[in-house]
Amino acid sequence: MAIDGQLEVRDIYTAYDKADVLEGISLNVVPGKITCLLGSNGAGKSTIIRSILGLTPPRAGSISFGDKDLTGLATHKIIATGIACIPEGRKLFPKLSVEENLHLGAYQETSKDVVRQRIEQVFEIFPRLHDRRLQLAGTMSGGEQAMVSIGRGLMGAPKLLLIDEPSLGLSPLFVKETFKIINKINEQGITVFLVEQNVHQTLAIAHYGYVLSKGQVVAEGESAVLAENSEVREAYFG
Amino acid sequence: MDIGFLGQYVVNGLMLGMMYSLVAVGFTLFFGVLDIIKFSHGDVLMVGAFAGLTTFFGLEAIGIESAWIQLVTIVVVSCVLTGILGSMIGKYLVLPLKSAPALNTLLITLMAGTVLRECIRLFFPDGSNPKPFPSLLPSESYSWGNFTLRLDSLMLLIFGTLVIVAISLLINKTKLGLAIRAVAQDGETAKIMGINFTLVVIVTFAIGSGVAAIAGIMNGLYYNEINFDMGLLLGVIGFSAAIVGGLGNIYGAILGGFLFAGLQTFGAVALPFASAYKDVFAFAVIIMIMAWRPTGLIAERTSERV
Repeated sequence: MAIDGQLEVRDIYTAYDKADVLEGISLNVVPGKITCLLGSNGAGKSTIIRSILGLTPPRAGSISFGDKDLTGLATHKIIATGIACIPEGRKLFPKLSVEENLHLGAYQETSKDVVRQRIEQVFEIFPRLHDRRLQLAGTMSGGEQAMVSIGRGLMGAPKLLLIDEPSLGLSPLFVKETFKIINKINEQGITVFLVEQNVHQTLAIAHYGYVLSKGQVVAEGESAVLAENSEVREAYFG
Repeated sequence: MDIGFLGQYVVNGLMLGMMYSLVAVGFTLFFGVLDIIKFSHGDVLMVGAFAGLTTFFGLEAIGIESAWIQLVTIVVVSCVLTGILGSMIGKYLVLPLKSAPALNTLLITLMAGTVLRECIRLFFPDGSNPKPFPSLLPSESYSWGNFTLRLDSLMLLIFGTLVIVAISLLINKTKLGLAIRAVAQDGETAKIMGINFTLVVIVTFAIGSGVAAIAGIMNGLYYNEINFDMGLLLGVIGFSAAIVGGLGNIYGAILGGFLFAGLQTFGAVALPFASAYKDVFAFAVIIMIMAWRPTGLIAERTSERV
């Protein structure tokens, strides 16, 4: 039975060229919750995001969101089901202004008024972006770019937000701030799938977690349980 | 040098520059969205000119004589047909090779261009000979001393300027233009934004090819003649203009187009022996500029791509 707003990944195998990076991954992202995916570098975390978004479609297995089968769909059609992504490394369009970057986040929204309202909402969360709205995104500091990237992810008013390594390359202070914002986003009813290496802060805000190693899920559970799992801690996070 | 003659050369140079810019803009758009060189572009331009001529014959045949209606219809029909041709090349020849080396795309479009050229030569009635292109613009002219300004030249220049302004507005002020710029900067992230990548690429090919058709018709109206191999030199010049301006940058392409025309005109005026060497002179200077600024006059890192 399809659960409304639930992302279900069923036994996917994803390969670049011939070598499988994901070897039979299954996971659920429960609506309204923060689900996290932990794992070290090269475990295949980003490949899961790429598979969900259809950028590197799985060669086997299926992915569905609510009652919609995403397997084999083009990326823009997957986005149209109510999914947005804050990609790893922020991936802003460096030679476009802050405002243009935000507009692109709501590319599929046809009402100009709605887009304008959402931009105002983003400016409420990040007042600094309002002052810099005409600045080219590539000329901003890392922290400011992170704000634009988060704002851009919210512009499409997604039901599900995929967040790939938001803490990468940020100062500890801003990492803390980012996790607070992710928590706030979730409290507004947006389902979050958070991919991270930063175990402690991630488990502190997530409800449920999966641990990935060498393309396979090696542990899963409520985050409180995962945090106490000594095997997991020793094996993957030192 | 008489000031009147000089004026004549300036007008001629501007006219050439306009055509070259319109061709170069296509090269730069294609490179922008897909990082490829589409070598059939000049021949697509030629097909645009022949589509215009065919439309003219059709209109004559059904008895529409008004030059203005003919002109508008020719431009519209030719742009649409050439746009469709360009988007088909994009969809069936270029996009399927997206993960292949760029050299393969270059080769396949080079071959496609040859096919187009030979098709016109073989299948267009008496296609191997130059075809007279109708003079549809008013033929009045104004003279000041040795300087004669033909009204049709003036109108072509104004029309060309409007086309360039329209492209610039389309790229910089519309949602489609924003999508094209996003795809040009980072195609994958553009997809994540929900942009239909394939559609944007195909539409970009249609726009670039439609603009080439306009250049082809301008060429026909200005010289009153079109030829099955007119796209060869125009294609190479447009490509050089796009490169020298800084490939991927629209304003660079326009700058490069006018620069090349300026060099040709200067070569024709200043070289004492023969104006026949104007292309040799222009290409030689372009080679020197390339050696001096290998990434083009407007280097990509300092300016916005597309």
